[in-house]
Amino acid sequence: MKKLLIIIPAYNEQESITRVVENLKQVCPSYDFVVVNDGSTDSTAGICRKNGYPLLDLPVNLGLSSAMQTGMRYANRRGYDCTMQFDADGQHLPEYIEPLMRKLEDGADIVIGSRFINVRKPKTLRMAGSYLLSWTIRFTTGQKICDPTSGMRLYGCEMIREFAANLNYAPEPDTISYLIKNGARVEEIQVDMAERKAGKSYFNFYGSLHYMVKMIFSILLIQWFRKRERYSVKGKRGV
Amino acid sequence: MSFQTRIVLILGSLLTLGFMLKRIRNSKLQIEDSLFWIFFSGLLLVVSIFPAIVFRASELLGIQSPINFMFLLIIFTLVVRLFSLTTKLSQMDEKLKRIAQTAALDGIDSDNKMDGELK
Repeated sequence: MKKLLIIIPAYNEQESITRVVENLKQVCPSYDFVVVNDGSTDSTAGICRKNGYPLLDLPVNLGLSSAMQTGMRYANRRGYDCTMQFDADGQHLPEYIEPLMRKLEDGADIVIGSRFINVRKPKTLRMAGSYLLSWTIRFTTGQKICDPTSGMRLYGCEMIREFAANLNYAPEPDTISYLIKNGARVEEIQVDMAERKAGKSYFNFYGSLHYMVKMIFSILLIQWFRKRERYSVKGKRGV
Repeated sequence: MSFQTRIVLILGSLLTLGFMLKRIRNSKLQIEDSLFWIFFSGLLLVVSIFPAIVFRASELLGIQSPINFMFLLIIFTLVVRLFSLTTKLSQMDEKLKRIAQTAALDGIDSDNKMDGELK
C-alpha cells in the first residue's frame, strides 16, 4: 500500500474549506492530507487552525503552482510515496481517490482524474481551450489526454522529487506534455466533478486567454528545447 | 529600411530567441517570463522579413523614414514592458517585506514558547 498525501491548495476558500475537508475525512479516513493556504486574505487559515487541519500557511500569495510545490516539498520531506492535488472548492470528489490510487499501483507515474473519457466533451466556448490543449499534446507527444486542464492529478514517487526540486514544473498541461515526452507514464481515469459551490473561479476571460497563450507556446515551442537527459523514469527504474 | 538593417534585425531577433531558449534549457528562466521575449523577437523577425508592413505603417502615420517607425515600435514595446516590470517589482517588494515580517513575528512567538518551557 502506497502512502498518499492529499494536497489541498486553498486561496480564499473560507465558505467551502470545512465542508470539503470534512467530506474528505469521512470518505477517506485512512489518507493523510495537508491544506496549503496560499496567502488567503479571508479566514481560511484561521478555520483550518481552529479545526486542527494540518496546515502549511504561506504568508503571501504565490499562485497555484508554488502552493502545490510547497505541498510536494512537504511530501518529499516526510517520505510520502504519492501526492494528489485536491481542490478546496468542492469540485473534486473523494470517492474517486481509490480508483486513481489503483491505477498508480499499476505502474503509472501520473494519473489524471478525467471528465471526458466516457463522456463526450461539450462543444462550448469554455471547452474550446481544452480541445486546443488536447490537440497540441496529441500533436507533440502522440498521446491522447482527454482532460488536460483537470486539476485532479495523482503523482507518483519520482514525480514528487521532480516537482519539489525544479523550476518550470507547474502542475499544468505543459508539464504533463514535457513529462510524457521524457518517458513518464500518464494515465487517465473517468471521474465526475461537482460544480463549484462557493468562491470565484480562478480565471476570468483575460486570465484564461493569457493562460491559453502561455500553455500553447510552452507545449508547441519551448518544451522541445528543455534539457532532457537529467530525467528519465525508465532509466531510474532500470538501475 | 536598408538591406543591412534588415539583416541586423533578423540576426538580433534570432540571437535573442536562442539566448532565451538556452536559459530555459538550463532552468535559469521561468517559461512565463520568456513569453515577452519570444513575442518581441518574433515581431522583429516578421517586420524584417516583410518590410512592406513597416513602409505601409509609416506612410499611414506620416513618418518620413520607415526606420524611424521601427525605432518608435521598439521604444514603445520596451516602455510597455518596463511599466509591467515596475509593477511586478513593486509587488515583489511588498511580498518580500511581508515574508520578512512574518518570519520575525513567528520568531518572537517561538521564543516566548521556549521561555515558557524553561520556567
